Amino acid sequence: MTGTTVSDRYSSGEVAERRLRQVTGAAGRLGMEHLGLLGVLAVVFVLLSLTAPNFLSAGNLLDVARQISFTGLIAFGMTLVIIAGEIDISVGSAIAFGSALFGMLAVDQEWPLWLAAIAVCALGALIGVGAGLLRALLNVPSFIVTLALFSALSGLALLMTDSIPIPITDAGFAALGTGSVLGVPIPALIMAVVFVAFWLLANRTTFGRSVYAVGGNAEAAHLSGIPVARVRAVLFGTTGLLAAVSSLLQTSQLGSGNPTIGIGVEFAVITAVIVGGASLYGGRGSMVGTLLGVVLIGILNNGMVLLGVNSYAQNVANGAIVLLAVLVSVARPSTRRTRRRVIARALES
Amino acid sequence: MNADALFRHSPDGAHPPPPGGAHAAIAVEGLVKRYPGVLALDGVDLSMAAGEVRALLGKNGAGKSTLVKILCGAVRPDAGRIHIGGRQVELASPAVARERGIVTVHQELSLVPELSVAENILLGRWRAAGTRGGLVSPAALVRHVGRFLDDLRLELDPRAKVGQLSVAEQQTVEIARALSYGGKLLILDEPTSSLPAAEVDRLLILVRRLAETGLAVIYVSHRMDEIPRVADSITVLRDGRHVATRPVGDVTTAEIVEMMTGRTATSRRRPKRKASERVVLSVSRLRSGDRVRDVSFDLHQGEILGIVGLLGSGRTELFRCLYGLSGRESGSVKLNGQPLRPRTPRQAIDAGLGFAPEDRKKEGLALGMAVSVNVTLSSPRSISVAGLLSRRKEQRVAEATRTRLAIKTPALRTAVGTLSGGNQQKVILGKCLNARVRVLLLDEPTRGVDVEAKEHIYALLRDLADEGTGIVVVSSEIEELFLVCDRLLVLNSGRVVLDRGVADTDLPAVMAAAMEGDAR
Repeated sequence: MTGTTVSDRYSSGEVAERRLRQVTGAAGRLGMEHLGLLGVLAVVFVLLSLTAPNFLSAGNLLDVARQISFTGLIAFGMTLVIIAGEIDISVGSAIAFGSALFGMLAVDQEWPLWLAAIAVCALGALIGVGAGLLRALLNVPSFIVTLALFSALSGLALLMTDSIPIPITDAGFAALGTGSVLGVPIPALIMAVVFVAFWLLANRTTFGRSVYAVGGNAEAAHLSGIPVARVRAVLFGTTGLLAAVSSLLQTSQLGSGNPTIGIGVEFAVITAVIVGGASLYGGRGSMVGTLLGVVLIGILNNGMVLLGVNSYAQNVANGAIVLLAVLVSVARPSTRRTRRRVIARALES
Repeated sequence: MNADALFRHSPDGAHPPPPGGAHAAIAVEGLVKRYPGVLALDGVDLSMAAGEVRALLGKNGAGKSTLVKILCGAVRPDAGRIHIGGRQVELASPAVARERGIVTVHQELSLVPELSVAENILLGRWRAAGTRGGLVSPAALVRHVGRFLDDLRLELDPRAKVGQLSVAEQQTVEIARALSYGGKLLILDEPTSSLPAAEVDRLLILVRRLAETGLAVIYVSHRMDEIPRVADSITVLRDGRHVATRPVGDVTTAEIVEMMTGRTATSRRRPKRKASERVVLSVSRLRSGDRVRDVSFDLHQGEILGIVGLLGSGRTELFRCLYGLSGRESGSVKLNGQPLRPRTPRQAIDAGLGFAPEDRKKEGLALGMAVSVNVTLSSPRSISVAGLLSRRKEQRVAEATRTRLAIKTPALRTAVGTLSGGNQQKVILGKCLNARVRVLLLDEPTRGVDVEAKEHIYALLRDLADEGTGIVVVSSEIEELFLVCDRLLVLNSGRVVLDRGVADTDLPAVMAAAMEGDAR
């Protein structure tokens, strides 16, 4: 094989094509893919420690951990959805709906809290599966299906409660959102459990493997015997379930079933996933990246509050972060040139 | 540009000059095109009169598509001259070729289904049809296109949405658009391969009528049932050279086949082996959709069956039907004696049937994912332990696959998209084999693969057959099928017209059967 270089074996068109494809190159397994994000996170952390008053206190950091957990846990489900090349913009409304429903069941219907909680989670998952089935079987773009849900669920929540929050007074339930175990906020613990579960799901199950394959090439996945429709249905079920869990945590923290919470959560969640390196074109993304994204966005927003940044300006900053994250991921191929050289050398020998 | 200049198609060819005369509509001299390792065109001459319809024939790799690409401006020749209407031209780009009067209609239509016929014909030139207060005027568009269609005597409603037209009508729109640029030469690339049989006649009649108005037409096709009806003359290319140009009435299918193959005896054949008595796949009177009309065959254990057929003969559709991707009107299929009627690819795979689709990149592989992932895509159970994926098992399976199929890859975690075509094809084979299929359906397994890798793949297929796998291969490389197959099946318009052991037939007979539909 000596004397042949890789470029000899490909036409120039193919070389260009290959360069494009390496955007999703599996060489990312080297564990290098998150170094950049980790670096940014470290820099931001140090800068905020130096400039923002009270940032580096244990109390503040634990508070950040609690705050990012309420919605951060949805990001892990969203990561799978985005890896599969789909999107779910209904999670914010699903939170409002879950909270309102919980209030109705627990207070108006006087169901035991645990039963109401299970019902909220089950219904959340079911609605998600329904949306997924619409996507999969009728081929309606997921953006449209979840846009409809976004509107309908929010309206339902307000209808059910007459837009009045339903107070829930139960010390045990309140602890879910406000309590701590060994100093660690319970929501943060729940998010950690969700992270581990979704890391396993993504990396150690055939389902997770199927999600990547569907996002990488749905047609090839289908022909290879992967049940593409079922994968898509289940995916939206997971985001529905996670939104329901999030709604319970927030209901607990607020002490009421509230139909007006969750506004804008879908965008915060998608932002974290994109910052974490997932590709909106599907096929690429990781749980570790998403976790870093959630943490980065969380401390940035906390830092801006501590620094007294105007809350409207914070929105502008969040917008800039999304754009930056996408630009970085588009510019990434430059670092791949070195990787290609490695491959070239390996083929030559 | 004013509205009159928009349509420069002004037929005047009442008395077309003789072919090759001083006023040839188009003349090509000494065209040479070299690709790395291949001389695609080796000094090709071609001359056509206005109003002449020329059928262009040649096997895969004979140089047809290179010639067409040069004429439509997509590829520049290394040497040679092109004259249009007596003037030498440089066809630097498709736009220039169109400007000079050469228009091409490819197999894949390039129409916007949601736009009207008028909007499609004037695609991108809407303002030129006349504006109203600075805005595009739909009425002017319809008026101009309507007049133009009347000139061509085409019965198409300019207001109709293209997506609601039949395939033949859409093709007519495509042709009309090509002619709206003022074409002198129309190139039709396998125009009937995508048409239902009933609509073929309409196209042939249209081509004849356009030719009568003085348009020269190059008609790329191998269907001997069409060529005498539409063409005045034929040109055969072989190995990048012009073999012969003859009036269409003077030649028989046998002569054309001889010109295409060059009377090369197919010497190398797969050593004849004793066929196993055991039938692994039995297809009986299968009918599916418009393309698969009546197909029956038996595949024995360890046998390699080649399927030959022109584009549109139903070869790909046959595979898709067997694999459960399209429905079945009638007929039966048995795999290892069990009735097979898969509704999903999963069911087909579980029953023991593997399928490698024609379009590797679009349908065969997740290009961005690792080799190890792709080779285990169809066999998730082989790499999991207690429901969880095992990296170690995956590595073991992938490593075994790499060794068995000699896949050249820097690492198992390398993205499949970075491998060469041959190695990508091996990954697809590996994917099927890891799912432990007993019968493999391979659609064009050597397309876009270099010569050396082709040899590897064929050797691999022989090994697999020797181990007892039944293999069905569809390929346009008919000679190569003689090297690798035990038996050949020729499909023509969805019917089996020839089913012979390779020792009992030869290349001309097979090609004639595919082109003509005459099994005897």
